[in-house]
Amino acid sequence: MSIVRNAAAIAKGMSVTLKEMFQPTEVENYPDGKGPMRGAKFQERFRGKHQLQRDENGLEKCVACFLCAAACPSNCIYIEAAENTEETRISSAERYAKVYNIDYNRCIFCGYCVEACPTDAITHGHGFELASLNATTLVMRKEDLLVLPSAHKLPDAVQSNKDTAEVLA
Amino acid sequence: MSTITNSIFTPETAARFDHLVTLYPVKRSALVPMLLYAQDEVGYVSDAVVAEIAQRLDLLELDVRNVLSYYSMLRTKPAGRYNVQVCTNISCMLRGGYEILDHCKHKLGIGHKEVTADGVFSLEEVECIGACCWAPAMQVNYDFHDNLTTVKVDEIIETYRAGKGKDVK
Amino acid sequence: MADVTFTVDGKQITAPAGTLLIDACKSAGIEIPAFCYYPGLSLQAACRMCVVRIEKMPKLATACTTTVAEGMVVATETPEITQARKATLQLLLGNHPLDCPVCDAGGECELQDMTFKYGAADSFYTEPKNHREEQNWSPVVYFDRPRCILCYRCVRMCGEGMDVFALGIQNRGSSAVIAPNIAPSLSPDNLAHLDCEQCGMCIDACPVGALTSGAYRYKTRPWEMNHVTTVCTHCGDGCKTTLGVRSTSDGAEIVRGDNRDKSGINGDFLCNKGRYAFDFANSQERITTPLVRQPNGDLKPVSWEEAFTVAGKKLRELRDTRGGKSIGVIGGNRLTNEEAYLLQKFARTVLGTNNVDHHRTADYVTFTQALAGQKGRTASWNDTKSYPAVLIVGGDPTNQAPGTAWNLRSDVRLNKARLYVANTSEIKLRRQARAFLQVAPFGYGALAGYLAGDASAASNAALDPTALGGFLEAVKGEEKLLILIGSELRGADLKRLIEFGLTIPGAKFALLSDYANSRGAADMGLLPDMLPGYTPVPTPGPFTEHNIPSEPGLDLLEIFDAAAAGNLSALYVVNSNPVARYGVDPAALKDTFVIVQEMFLTETAQLADIILPAANLYEKSGSVTNSYGDLQLVQKAGDRSGVRSDFEMIVRIADKMGADVKALVPFGKGLRADMGQSRGAQSGEADRHAVWLTANNLEPKLSPFDPWAILDEIQRLVPGYDLLRLQLLSGNDQHLEPAAAAATASRRDLVLPSGDGLFTSGTLGRFSPALNDVQRYQAGEPLIQIQTAAD
Repeated sequence: MSIVRNAAAIAKGMSVTLKEMFQPTEVENYPDGKGPMRGAKFQERFRGKHQLQRDENGLEKCVACFLCAAACPSNCIYIEAAENTEETRISSAERYAKVYNIDYNRCIFCGYCVEACPTDAITHGHGFELASLNATTLVMRKEDLLVLPSAHKLPDAVQSNKDTAEVLA
Repeated sequence: MSTITNSIFTPETAARFDHLVTLYPVKRSALVPMLLYAQDEVGYVSDAVVAEIAQRLDLLELDVRNVLSYYSMLRTKPAGRYNVQVCTNISCMLRGGYEILDHCKHKLGIGHKEVTADGVFSLEEVECIGACCWAPAMQVNYDFHDNLTTVKVDEIIETYRAGKGKDVK
Repeated sequence: MADVTFTVDGKQITAPAGTLLIDACKSAGIEIPAFCYYPGLSLQAACRMCVVRIEKMPKLATACTTTVAEGMVVATETPEITQARKATLQLLLGNHPLDCPVCDAGGECELQDMTFKYGAADSFYTEPKNHREEQNWSPVVYFDRPRCILCYRCVRMCGEGMDVFALGIQNRGSSAVIAPNIAPSLSPDNLAHLDCEQCGMCIDACPVGALTSGAYRYKTRPWEMNHVTTVCTHCGDGCKTTLGVRSTSDGAEIVRGDNRDKSGINGDFLCNKGRYAFDFANSQERITTPLVRQPNGDLKPVSWEEAFTVAGKKLRELRDTRGGKSIGVIGGNRLTNEEAYLLQKFARTVLGTNNVDHHRTADYVTFTQALAGQKGRTASWNDTKSYPAVLIVGGDPTNQAPGTAWNLRSDVRLNKARLYVANTSEIKLRRQARAFLQVAPFGYGALAGYLAGDASAASNAALDPTALGGFLEAVKGEEKLLILIGSELRGADLKRLIEFGLTIPGAKFALLSDYANSRGAADMGLLPDMLPGYTPVPTPGPFTEHNIPSEPGLDLLEIFDAAAAGNLSALYVVNSNPVARYGVDPAALKDTFVIVQEMFLTETAQLADIILPAANLYEKSGSVTNSYGDLQLVQKAGDRSGVRSDFEMIVRIADKMGADVKALVPFGKGLRADMGQSRGAQSGEADRHAVWLTANNLEPKLSPFDPWAILDEIQRLVPGYDLLRLQLLSGNDQHLEPAAAAATASRRDLVLPSGDGLFTSGTLGRFSPALNDVQRYQAGEPLIQIQTAAD
């Protein structure tokens, strides 16, 4: 009896294989696909390279509370804080991140920093093409991580060209 | 034992203060009455008043200010020549105290704790002034006016404006 | 008082009657939360966090105001209490901004901890919170009203603790605020400010982030720093200060100084300098490369190797041609004991000269000699906290040794100690004094004479000689008396005062000096006529093995006289600025080869032929001895690339001179110790093992730059320095009594008090931006208004 049973099982398995042979192919054709993503597709929740967000006034959301650095299991976030002044206002609270580095040599994309952030300043973007032949380029600075303010209207206080430059910097 | 030379107060008040200090087991106890008398004489508790009272009672100016700021009846800015105090405590409130207050505000063009531009009137909303049985009531300097109506208030204010009212300080 | 036994959470506790319940519970390991309670300050019962259930009491009672009683049954954690505390927190949070991510106190905030524990982060209030702008009260104190929970700790700390009374409460109800003593109407910029000692104790006491430090604000977060406990480099009290350090590209930057765990000899206290004046270490003006003067007069940056070679070669040449006696050595008041000892040993054994001195700020030689043969007569700093009676002759602890003043005030306030003050001026401590004697100008000698029994001196001793009798009687009536002596008393006067004090059986003595290791410099023999431990040069005793020249050398002034006369071939200055301090004419040093180890280009360094960039006390390890003779451990906190410790530089120069380094620093000894073969596999075990080895003086000193190698020799040779290693290593203080031989012939009085106050600290203070800001502020210059961003 066992021979019959085994043969039936093989037939069942092969039938699945045969059936799939006639289905259309579903392959993500990265990197030769169309569009800016070159064929790559993501779930919304995909955790890629971080983005530092700005608020509705274009100011940085990060207030340099160091909670992301504290939460980071691989210790890859380095921050130096400084105080906002009337003349140069970077974030909306008293403090802002003068230096914000993430070392992608170490980052494990666990998302704990995003969980920890009290101001929703740090989020995971979808950037995934991080490979490099030079490890030092994997230490990303704040400029590399900040989203551009272009999507937002600049605040009234920073309308001049110089101010814009500072906001972008 | 007038200990203070060059007192800013009149000789009578100064003498009264000298006596006041001796009445209590602790000098400091004379602080509140002194502040009240000083306010009546000077019109408000000025920095000079604070300095002299502190000196009289061997207190720091800070101690005097701590007490001074506690009591809303003590002012640190000059009031008008006629300080209109409208009661809005429960009896007066039930009998239309707020209408009287609003009327005064409208008539004098000033709000709570403000002084008219010519410096004649100032307005204050105060707690019970002990005239519940004739509510609503108000007090101008130390002069009582009760069973008020808006018409009566107009008359009273006109009397004062004409300089005919009692000017009790 | 008699002990009472009571029950807390089912646990039997015994405590002296009169103890507060909150303290008794704490000693028994039961924590009762409280915001307004602060040990040693008056009771406020303002915060209602410490409520507990005591059986047979109708309502919840506050543990901070309840004294323990026999048979009391207390519950500290029940659902009822949790509910009450949660309600309290909800009320406190009603107006408290939840800006913890930004707030400097985040991470070390008592309110945050309690909210985590009891959970009250959700507010039932719909009303908007009261917002007020942050206020800049002084360069070092900022006040953020919305965060304040009105516990009044700062008000009491400033009033009772500091006796300054610069803070008060104004307004009432929910609009009540803490207010400083300069009202906006009195201030030129119409903003409230603080006129006070700027000690920062209010910030320390604040349980939340309402009061924040101007030096540290918004720089980093508590968990991002390494916390290194070390000894403050400024005055002679030797407070423990915890430095918050973070690494930078060129070393390790100190970002904060505070009294983090309050475990030090200073208890709760830390002054302005200990808290803020660490920033000289981060100064941009520091020298970070060795400089050698060229024939054309310019200073040229050179490599360390070259600088040491030039220094060593030149010193050797001058010693060999003009003799060791033509070389002078001047040490500093902020060297560690090991460095001071090494320096004098280097001078005496390698250079072969006794021309060693330092800037003396108190006459410790006479002090120890007057107490020769006595045991247990020198006071530890700890004695100032609890001695029942204290006499201060001269000095002004409030300004010169703020920690001593704090202890004395606390002693009077908490232990009802009797304080007697004799001074030429009305120093602030007279406010706590039971009796104040105003000494006549220059009358300390006469006063000492009078106290010692010379009635004829009375007329010169006090402004009002009739007050003398009563004062003397009161002082003599004390059985246990602590006699604190200011640096005004020296030589014969000091001796006479101590002789008078010795007639009181329970008297103990202390002599106040000005800098972190002024006492250590004297103890370690940076003196022309005294070897370490006040051993006279002619009778070297234990130091015979060093073959020291038998004649006393030139003192500091004689060294410069010799230089002016052209008789000084070389001068080696380590961490000292005698040119500015003693007003030396720069021309005097023109024919002298000068080597200076310094942090900054001081007046002395400007005259140097070789400048070696030195580390400061916050950048090295070792031990220091405070004015009272309490030895404490110094740990390396900051680091600056390009500087080296004085210890290392002395050894290197000795090496380049061709000296036997092994004789100078007895390293390599202790190799009998186990080098790891018996250690367990676990590193924890190895660490414990290392502590044991060190404590038993068995750890290998493999490097000539290891200060512990010199500490071994200090321990072995210096009379009175029989210290306990474990006590030192565990960060505790220990009192030492260097036993001097009997008095030598009369010596020249070279004591020059530094005259430093609360906001100055010798040459070092000039390079501290924080101290400069505070000085400018206190001098009434318009504040540099740092516009703070509104949130």
